[in-house]
Amino acid sequence: MKFLNNDYLHLTLQLFVGVIFVYSAVPHILNSMGLASSIYNYKLFPSPIIGLSAAVIPWITLLSGLALILGVKVRAASLLISTLLVIFISLAGISMIRGLDIDCGCFIGIIRKANWLAVCEDVLLLLGSLFIFFFDRTRISLVLLIKKFVFHNKNYKGALL
Amino acid sequence: MIQQTKTGFPSDSSNKHPSFSWRLVIKDCLYFVGIAILLGGVLNYSLLVKAFNGTLISKIQQNQLANLKSKASLLYGISVIDLVSAKPLYDEKIAIFVDARTLQEYSIGHISEAISIPDREFLMGQIDPGKILPDKEAILITYCDGGECELAVDVAKGLSERGYNNVFILGEGYPGWEAAGYPVDK
Repeated sequence: MKFLNNDYLHLTLQLFVGVIFVYSAVPHILNSMGLASSIYNYKLFPSPIIGLSAAVIPWITLLSGLALILGVKVRAASLLISTLLVIFISLAGISMIRGLDIDCGCFIGIIRKANWLAVCEDVLLLLGSLFIFFFDRTRISLVLLIKKFVFHNKNYKGALL
Repeated sequence: MIQQTKTGFPSDSSNKHPSFSWRLVIKDCLYFVGIAILLGGVLNYSLLVKAFNGTLISKIQQNQLANLKSKASLLYGISVIDLVSAKPLYDEKIAIFVDARTLQEYSIGHISEAISIPDREFLMGQIDPGKILPDKEAILITYCDGGECELAVDVAKGLSERGYNNVFILGEGYPGWEAAGYPVDK
């Protein structure tokens, strides 16, 4: 189980999950009405919840994704991302049980149905996010790498976040 | 005790972050959510106003209907018909309504006297529409869940390709029909 403590595995996972969430958040922020439409398609929520979710969730996604990429507040970011993923997986599962043929609304401009494939992808992302949460020791991050390679600073103790 | 790892980054011997606590993590989460509420609230003020005064859903439905109309007519040359135009055709038994949703959804509730042609089975060739709908000149109105549901578009396209000349799509779908209080079978 040595690989669980590999710094570069941690960094790769953080960057992978972070980039996916930033990539998902930006179009939603630019087109919040599109996201509201996707949430409405689940036919589960009243108007105020649709509006609030469409306004706030993309920003939580963006901030959490950026935090993972930069390696700042990694545990909080991965906990938020895990929570969002559990919600997405539940919604996709409920939609499948109800037989709804709808776009999951994960990425605006990319057709991705709320089906088993989407659930499996989200479960993989959830596992990655939980791994970051439980095994994170924030020894390595983009911020630290920049400090290491740009400033040639060999004493990282003070840079620990 | 802090040690250097193979990758050149410091490690403590316990392999655990010294400052980890649930309280800190929850506090950080609340900061993230607070900032998100602030930014999302300010930048989406008009959306939130619509959401709380109840006009958001009708706006979404209008947008979805417009998208469906443009997609169906531009891509496949199929017209979208609205509830107001479809109801007289139903009342005078001029049109045949085709439910494109799954059999499970059809059995839960459907437009009264509609026939079921589930999208998936139809596209896989398991259903021969010629046996169910022998008259190629009949007026057919396909429907599904309305909004962004594309099952009705797929079935309408398939029927049109098989020589049916009068195929339309009910824009509001089954939810719109049911909400208007029109006849349904459950």
